[in-house]
Amino acid sequence: MNSEVRFDRSVGALATEETLRMIARLPAPAGLEDRVKAGLRSAPKSANVIAWPLASANGWMRSAGMRGAAAAAIVLAIAGGGWGVYSHIQVAPVPSALADPQLPGAAGRFSTAGAMHVPQTVQGPVVAAPVLKKQVQPPAEAVPSWQQHAAKKGKAHAQSHSSAATPSIK
Amino acid sequence: MEIVESSVHDAARQHAEEAALAALVDQYASTLYRVAFSVLRNQQDAEDAVQEAFLRVLRHRETLGEIRDHRVWLVRIVWNIVLDRKRRAKTRPETDDIADLTRVLPATGMSAEQRAAAVQHHSSVLACVEKLPDREREVMLLSAFEELSSVEIAAVLGVTESSVRSRLFRARNLMAELLQHKRSTP
Repeated sequence: MNSEVRFDRSVGALATEETLRMIARLPAPAGLEDRVKAGLRSAPKSANVIAWPLASANGWMRSAGMRGAAAAAIVLAIAGGGWGVYSHIQVAPVPSALADPQLPGAAGRFSTAGAMHVPQTVQGPVVAAPVLKKQVQPPAEAVPSWQQHAAKKGKAHAQSHSSAATPSIK
Repeated sequence: MEIVESSVHDAARQHAEEAALAALVDQYASTLYRVAFSVLRNQQDAEDAVQEAFLRVLRHRETLGEIRDHRVWLVRIVWNIVLDRKRRAKTRPETDDIADLTRVLPATGMSAEQRAAAVQHHSSVLACVEKLPDREREVMLLSAFEELSSVEIAAVLGVTESSVRSRLFRARNLMAELLQHKRSTP
């Protein structure tokens, strides 16, 4: 039984390898190399520097020194332009003292200090509490304590004066 | 004078690179095609993969001089391309394998019945190969190429030689089980 299983396994592995080898040995289609080469020839090889239309094939642009000089001229032109723009910009003068902006209509009045008027309807209706009327005493009858005190003091003073001025009859 | 010398040098270098690339195409296009076909099992797809592999070489042709083993390097490139394509493609049905194998199998010395039976057998084996785990399947497919040693397979897959051997052992066992199961359940 064990040997049978082993035999089956080896047969299975052999069958697999036979199939895969058969596929691996299949010949490539004719003309494959030519087609690949044609594809490579038509493919873009690499990134090229775009040719300047005014430069001829063997012209001055082929020289590395001249190319460097041209690049330097371009850099100078750009830097000069940038400096020109920068130098024409007028910087706003810095004020010596900072002034707060005046609120419209705030002259001669107290400010609201940012407080906002919020209507009552925003927080719901408010039921006003009934106001109780106080019984106020008439101002004529009411004598303040300091007046009573002053009246007592004045009476005492008058009595002492009168006793001193009038001689006693004995 | 300096300008002329540098341009001549550039032209000569470009010519040499093109010649080296053409030589690589002549030498290895067939191998790369067979590697690609073993995975994709479609002539057109395999040819496209070979084309893409050489286009990649063209883009990096400056590094050609640094490559020690061009064959393994190229097989690795095409291997990555075909795996990527296979990952993106749908699972290949067995009927497609039957149709393609009927087209490409050599018919020498076989009757029509024998050929049909052989195609059926090979396609059922390939269906079992598809069921293998990725690692085992890859090693099994590459080991079918007689020109690739286990060291070279390891270089293509980026693993050690011992792991190639252990994966191959596991793949053979799994394949035997799958085929046995397929025979027992018709």
